[in-house]
Amino acid sequence: MPFVLAGILPAVEKLLKDKIGWYASAVAFLSLLLVAQAAPEIIHGETIQGSIEWLPSVGIDFSFYIDGLSVMFGFIVSGIGVIIMSYSNGYMSKKEDLPRYYQQLLFFMGSMLGMVFSANTIQLFIFWELTSVTSFMLIGYWRNRPMSVYGATKSMLITATGGLFMLAGFLVLHAITGTFDIPTIMHSESIKEMLHGHDLFLAALILIFIGAASKSAQGPFYIWLPNAMEAPTPVSAFLHSATMVKAGIYLVARIHPIFSGTDAWFIMVSGIGIFTMLLAGFLAFRQTDIKGILAYSTISQLAYLMTMYGYTTHHHPGIGVAAATFHLLNHATFKACLFLVAGIVAHETATRDITKMGGLRKEMPITFIVATIGALSMAGIPPLNGFLSKEMFYESSVEMGHLLGGPWSILIPALAVLGGVFTFAYSIKLIDGIFLGKRPSKGLPDHIHDPSMIMLAPAIFLAGLIILFGLVPSIPVHYFVGPTVSGILLEEAHLHVKLWHGITPSLIMTIVTFALGILTYTQYGKIADWQDRFNAKFPWISVNYYYDATVENAKNVTAKFSNRMQPGPVKTYVVALLLLVIAMFAIPAALLATSFIPQNLNFDVPLYESLIFLFMVVSALGAALLPRYIPAIISLSGLGYLVALLFIYLQAPDLALTQVLVETLSTIIFLLAIVKIPQKFREHIPASTLVRDLLISVTIASIVFIMLINATQGIVPPFESLSHYFIEKSLPLAGGHNIVNVIIVDFRGYDTLGEISVLCLAAFGVYNLIHSRGDDQ
Amino acid sequence: MTTLITKTITKICLPLVILFSISLLLAGHNNPGGGFIGGVMFASVIALTYVAYGLDFIKSFFNPDWGNWFGFGLLLASVTAFAAMAFSHNFFRSAVEFVHLPFFGEIELVSAGLFDIGVYFVVIGGLLSIFKNVGDDR
Repeated sequence: MPFVLAGILPAVEKLLKDKIGWYASAVAFLSLLLVAQAAPEIIHGETIQGSIEWLPSVGIDFSFYIDGLSVMFGFIVSGIGVIIMSYSNGYMSKKEDLPRYYQQLLFFMGSMLGMVFSANTIQLFIFWELTSVTSFMLIGYWRNRPMSVYGATKSMLITATGGLFMLAGFLVLHAITGTFDIPTIMHSESIKEMLHGHDLFLAALILIFIGAASKSAQGPFYIWLPNAMEAPTPVSAFLHSATMVKAGIYLVARIHPIFSGTDAWFIMVSGIGIFTMLLAGFLAFRQTDIKGILAYSTISQLAYLMTMYGYTTHHHPGIGVAAATFHLLNHATFKACLFLVAGIVAHETATRDITKMGGLRKEMPITFIVATIGALSMAGIPPLNGFLSKEMFYESSVEMGHLLGGPWSILIPALAVLGGVFTFAYSIKLIDGIFLGKRPSKGLPDHIHDPSMIMLAPAIFLAGLIILFGLVPSIPVHYFVGPTVSGILLEEAHLHVKLWHGITPSLIMTIVTFALGILTYTQYGKIADWQDRFNAKFPWISVNYYYDATVENAKNVTAKFSNRMQPGPVKTYVVALLLLVIAMFAIPAALLATSFIPQNLNFDVPLYESLIFLFMVVSALGAALLPRYIPAIISLSGLGYLVALLFIYLQAPDLALTQVLVETLSTIIFLLAIVKIPQKFREHIPASTLVRDLLISVTIASIVFIMLINATQGIVPPFESLSHYFIEKSLPLAGGHNIVNVIIVDFRGYDTLGEISVLCLAAFGVYNLIHSRGDDQ
Repeated sequence: MTTLITKTITKICLPLVILFSISLLLAGHNNPGGGFIGGVMFASVIALTYVAYGLDFIKSFFNPDWGNWFGFGLLLASVTAFAAMAFSHNFFRSAVEFVHLPFFGEIELVSAGLFDIGVYFVVIGGLLSIFKNVGDDR
């Protein structure tokens, strides 16, 4: 539905002018209502399914499956969508290309919604790649900034390639289970058992997980997300914190019932998760750009989610699922809130460099409060919602470590705490760097103030949600987390989330986190400096180094390749093609030798036809030998008209008419093009080339001749003509007397559609050819 | 090429040929003709005017964006093709209907005809945008 409403957006734009953003928000709100409509049933523990037949021959339907998980994502996508699009009304300058901006946002939202409600892996893949494409356009929104384009390309390359891996994984899954339908696999114990015992289980899991990891910027794929921050801030808030990057998390949660409970699942999902969580948390220290810090924090927060979804063993499925789901919701609120604040700050101060800021709390009091709420929630400070889910994260870590036993019972909780420490430190840095301390003497505009309510209200609303979810956790748990968890675990979920639950290991871990976090924060600058030095010294350790090198090399290699393959003159290609044709026919012909030429040829041709043939030969020779361009072209078109004449004799008026018209038009175009180039006599051709060309053309001509003779009267028995079928069927089936036309538009309509598309492409090609050449000069 | 004779003949031919091309298009289902030929004929006569009067002169009062024409044609053709699906037929299933109109007698309405009209527009748009681009090039 957002697709359709986005389609008419340019028309609405004429009506509303620069208020167009409100229309987009209304569309998002409508989607939100539609999602909410499905919610009550889901909360009661039911699921909704439906499908439309699409490609029945391969077992793919256009089907949707709605359970707690998809509803929660639906809420996040459309809800944050409403917030972001309203906020954009204040953020985006009126001079920007607003229709394009909102249209792409809505397209993105539509793809996202389509993805979370897909019940079918192929359909999921299509929407998945659509989100990649739309995000590519949104990141590259400022087309003339090189960094934007670089970031967009990077994200596209990485996430779309990951998507292809995922598709391969789905196909492997299909090969094992024989179905593309996700709910079928999820609910059938027998299929799951077969899958878990299968040799290809690991292959399917790894391939699909590569897709999820690339989308959610996990493991080595994280590098695209920081560059994606070149997008307008609302876009970053929407795509790169609240929705698109969570697609990978969604996928992991979606396939959780199918794949979880194995060692491979735990090692891969949690392993990559923990690794990314620590790495990204650590790397965030070095960032000076506010959005850079937020990007790395997003990566590390997503890694939390990955880790928690990975916490599962065969006997205790889904230890971390509830925690992950709750944190997912909380992350959407506090990170979107922080991004909005980042947008506000950048908008007012005209810089995003955190080292140039400080002491803004007096000038922007409301922004300060909102930002503090968001950052403290991220840091996990009670009574905000981040605290609750972080407690749950610690709790599940302890439980998981306990289950594994041995050194793991200490190590896993310890790693979790370390992740929390980093998060704490950079969250504090955001507040301290922007709002506390002294205002720097230069580099900031003189008058900084809170922005208009259009920009503030969405952020305030999110801050309100953070507090509400923190103080009354039963609301989100009852309405969102519970149904989602039961959707993932396929059983009734009983969750008890409270602010105070006694002195538990997780509470102790939180206290340790705070203590270590404050300690780390005092060393913040030193760590960042150390990272800078390290990077300067060992550039080849970063993943970016390899990405850049690969892309650069790919460019060079392809440039070399095409230079060699396309040296220039058309003649070269024609010669190569014709030689190929000769090779294709000469080899079998040589093998069959004489039997290819029929013994008794029938040259019984009426006189007028022979005359026409004679004229044709003459004009063809004329076209080839005349020394000037214009006579040669006229001679060539004469050949065309003679062919048309032949058609008339052979009783094909349609063909003749077409031939005459096309010949006329092409002659005119030829003449137009020719008049522009110098009318010199043909250039001198060396004798060897001439001999070679002659040889090639004579061979080709004889091959064609022999083939035609064979087709009509040679060793191959003449096959029955098809025309009687069309003569019989054209009237009853298509209601037309003109067989040629009926064939074109009816029996082979699909062909014709293809052909006219080719014609359009040709027109574009000519346009490009002529205009690109003009630009070079 | 732009003699008085060419100009005069072009002036006379233009409406006639356009009408003829439309009749070709409509007759196409039962007699020689059809979208492709009709389109080429239309394109030829416009090309003739371009040649006879010069591109710049024509452009001063008649300068359609032929790109839109073929976009429209392609859209029409695809919509026709998909329309059958909305009525739960196969892709591209054509429908035939005979209608009785007071003046014209019995007229045959074929959804394939609509498709043919799409082809017509694509051909005109495609050929003329090629033509204009080549001719406009300097």
